[in-house]
Amino acid sequence: MLLEVDGLDLRYGATHAVKGVSLNVAEGEIVTVLGANGAGKSSLLKAIAGAVRPGAGTIRFDGKDITGRGAAARVRAGLMLVPEGRQIFVSLTVEENLLIGGYTRSDAEIARDVEAVFDRFPNLAARRGALASVLSGGEQQMLAVGRALLSKPRLMMLDEPSLGLSPILVDQLFGLIGDLNRQGLSILLVEQNTHMALEIAARGYVLELGALVAEGTAAELGADPRLAEAYLGATDDAA
Amino acid sequence: MLIVQQILNGIMLGGIYVGVAVAFTLTIGILNFLNFTIPVLFMLSGMIGWSLSFYGLPFGLSEPLGWLPSLGIGIICAILASLVVERFTYRYFKAKHGDATEHAIPLVSSLGFLLIFEYMVLIAHGSDPRGFHTPFGDLDLRFAGLVISIPQILSLVVSLAIVAGLSMLLRRTQLGRALRATAENPDAAVLMGIEVNRIVPVVFVLTGLLCGLAGALFAVNYGEVSPYMGDQVGTKAIAGMVIGGLGSVWGAIAGGLIVGLTETLSIHFFGATSAQITVWGLLLVLLLFRPKGLFGHNAIGKGKF
Ligand SMILES: Nc1ncnc2c1ncn2[C@@H]1O[C@H](COP(=O)(O)OP(=O)(O)OP(=O)(O)O)[C@@H](O)[C@H]1O
Ligand SMILES: [Mg+2]
Repeated sequence: MLLEVDGLDLRYGATHAVKGVSLNVAEGEIVTVLGANGAGKSSLLKAIAGAVRPGAGTIRFDGKDITGRGAAARVRAGLMLVPEGRQIFVSLTVEENLLIGGYTRSDAEIARDVEAVFDRFPNLAARRGALASVLSGGEQQMLAVGRALLSKPRLMMLDEPSLGLSPILVDQLFGLIGDLNRQGLSILLVEQNTHMALEIAARGYVLELGALVAEGTAAELGADPRLAEAYLGATDDAA
Repeated sequence: MLIVQQILNGIMLGGIYVGVAVAFTLTIGILNFLNFTIPVLFMLSGMIGWSLSFYGLPFGLSEPLGWLPSLGIGIICAILASLVVERFTYRYFKAKHGDATEHAIPLVSSLGFLLIFEYMVLIAHGSDPRGFHTPFGDLDLRFAGLVISIPQILSLVVSLAIVAGLSMLLRRTQLGRALRATAENPDAAVLMGIEVNRIVPVVFVLTGLLCGLAGALFAVNYGEVSPYMGDQVGTKAIAGMVIGGLGSVWGAIAGGLIVGLTETLSIHFFGATSAQITVWGLLLVLLLFRPKGLFGHNAIGKGKF
């Protein structure tokens, strides 16, 4: 297994955001985590990325226990999060955003990898010297993915990447995720767009109020009434 | 001719403010932290430089040192003092209380450090101004009836060169990009693998360097240092930073020079005690029409460089 999370537990003060969640991702797999607003999906990914400290549980990546390691060590190991809301640096240029994605690297091939991302996304290449704030929502999502690619990840975690994108752009985005996966990248995908997510993923997990309520192959989950319940149970505007 | 001379003097004085104003703007821009110890770092480098050139190393370890090594050690002490402040204001309270205390606690504790350092120097050396002598203290360049002192020209060139170097560092290097990314969005910076706890001391080293250097240039220029030398320069540098726009390096340069000019011209026209009123009056009027300052951005604490 590339990523093994065991009994992960996370609280913010009185809020119990993640309740003893266990999940894993095999090398080359696309796995999705589904759940309504506030289910704890982002908290789970942030804990795996090392941005927040879990109260209990272990995280193993590529066989090594990384629970006590900082975020930088995890990026170096090949674990990269594309955060919710993209979080690109709008005061930096498009090219500088990509370079920052490669911050933990010291090899001489960063420049070449920046060009490779520009080849993949010609829209970004046209604006390489412009501030990232001028990009459209879709372009910003491409930049967020490109920036993550610059760290040479083995596992890319994406937190609701389709949020706020038009249906055409969502299709493009899922096409991109599929391409990246075929090129060898493992993916852990958090989505509210359950339909698209289950189409692309091999397996999935369903979170409800911080706890895992279902898991299985994409086909199993698609037919599982607990998936619909997880959304209906929590909030009004979910999926 | 007299007025041209005053303008020149004003620009030279502004050159001293520039280093300190840039130090202020850097900590505000990157850490969102108004570091009150900045004026005292300026004073420490001047006073320690004077003490070494007058007494030599402490405990009779050496004869009085030359002016250049004295000031060099003074600058290093300013950098070290800045790191002490980082360790015990910014990092300590951040680690202990997290972001809830973001503004007030580091600010108040940096004010504490200002007074502690200032009174330590007062206890050691008393409150009298001390003369600081360099071999070229009164070398002048005379040109078309104008007098320009060589140390003044040199110090203006040195402070502009340092700030230009800083600007290059921020724009062209991976460290500079990391500083700017952290300034804009520390949470996202962490996700990129930037270790914010290692980046923050860099800001304090730069702060100590800029202030220490400004203090050394002040000593060379005016041939005099005192435990209170930071107070005047500190308030003027804050005014310069605000006039230029919070968090803008080039704004701090322009603001520092404008304050220097305003001060000298105000003294020329309205007498010695008028400077503070003119400088702060100008600042208030400017803020009325342009709250962001000359080169400032809209959101304080977001994406400045
Ligand atoms: N920094 C924080 N401090 C306190 N509570 C938080 C914090 N971040 C999240 N929470 C709470 O933790 C719970 C889980 O939030 P989280 O953002 O992980 O959910 P999510 O599944 O990603 O939701 P969404 O679909 O809206 O993004 C929520 O109740 C939320 O209010
Ligand atoms: Mg979320």
